[in-house]
Amino acid sequence: MLTVEHIKKSFQKRHILDDITFTVNSGEIALFLGSSGVGKSTLLRILNNLEAIDSGNISLNGTPLNVATINTTHSIGMVFQHFNLFDHLTVAQNITLPLERVLQYSHQKAQEKADTLLQRYGLLDKKHHYAAHLSGGQKQRLAIARAIALEPQVICLDEPTSALDPVLTTSIAHNIQELAHEGYIVLVATHDTALLEKLTCTIYLMKDGKIVEHVSSAQFNANPSQFPHIKNFVAGNV
Amino acid sequence: MIDSNLIITHMPLLLQGALVTLQIAGLSCCIGLVLGTILALLQTQTTIFIRFLVTAYVLIIRGTPMLIQILCAFYVLPQIGLQLSALTTAVIAIGLNSAAYISQIIKAGISSVAQGQIEAAHVLGFSIKDTIRFIILPQALRVVLPALGNEFITLIKDSALASVIGVAELSKQGRLVINQTFDAISVFCILALMYLIITSSISLIVAYVERRMSDYAHR
Repeated sequence: MLTVEHIKKSFQKRHILDDITFTVNSGEIALFLGSSGVGKSTLLRILNNLEAIDSGNISLNGTPLNVATINTTHSIGMVFQHFNLFDHLTVAQNITLPLERVLQYSHQKAQEKADTLLQRYGLLDKKHHYAAHLSGGQKQRLAIARAIALEPQVICLDEPTSALDPVLTTSIAHNIQELAHEGYIVLVATHDTALLEKLTCTIYLMKDGKIVEHVSSAQFNANPSQFPHIKNFVAGNV
Repeated sequence: MIDSNLIITHMPLLLQGALVTLQIAGLSCCIGLVLGTILALLQTQTTIFIRFLVTAYVLIIRGTPMLIQILCAFYVLPQIGLQLSALTTAVIAIGLNSAAYISQIIKAGISSVAQGQIEAAHVLGFSIKDTIRFIILPQALRVVLPALGNEFITLIKDSALASVIGVAELSKQGRLVINQTFDAISVFCILALMYLIITSSISLIVAYVERRMSDYAHR
């Protein structure tokens, strides 16, 4: 269970995140919805130690999480908006290099794990291609494979469908839902309202650095009018 | 115009000089690459004080003629107890000079690596050393390879300055042949041709390596 309590973050006196509190259990998806600049990505960056918090607490399974050592404990993984794949490496090397250098896997063991993940995400035939040569959807799947290769407990996906067409959006949504079924805690930051219908999740609508409304996607889809902020956002009336 | 008999007779001497030229340029380039990379990393990764020292080094080296630097090394090093051969002195002086230029080339290459690459490495738990070794430098080197190739070609030509401290490199051997034959035109023409062959070969090698390293950037 990931618990985030009263997180605050400012840049030059501007509140980016203002008292953010939420809890996500294993096997659940938290979907942070909002326009650009409301702090969704900053929240994920904080959880991955790419930004420091001003105040607040983060704990994982009841144990306070030391954000400074998150990257060495591999408890949280990140799929970036622009994938940030290592373009100079092959598809397989994007997975094997972190396994070998960070988790000290043997080359053979790393290769086997990479093959399993690439098979799962339909990229095995591309394993010797450079990551730079993949299509948008393939890059997204490789980014997910690379993140879960290190077996984190939490996976953060920043705008996972921003560069994808509707068909690929459905496919990636399926991949995200699968991660939750496998027990990962999944956090998604997005402005893509199409994901609301495709994911079983808790929706957190963010505005000006605050969570202004939250509800399960099932409840929202059953009765949208009860949740005016989310309904307005989906309708494009921010 | 060019006396072919003269060339054939003195070619072994000129080839010997060309070998020394390649030696100076190759070894200087090694010093320049290693020291230049360290200086570039120090300039991008460390404290203001160290960055200031590196900047001062680059400023001094780039702001003074290489000829003066070679002569300084030749006359100053023995004063501090370092008795080195003229060839070693030239290699060190030219290598230190080259390091200043190469550091700026590599620094530009490092700056060209997208911040997202470094963030991805950080999130995946790479150490700083591994991030530099596996993520930053390979991508930076691809970008700066043409500039590094130019630097190596410049080193080949600059190695002629080593003749002022008596190193028998190509141009020095050429002047020796002129003194013996008084045929300056033939000798200078052949010297120019030999320099051109060496630098063109390097250009071809650099272009090949560049193509290999850029494979991922082209479909």
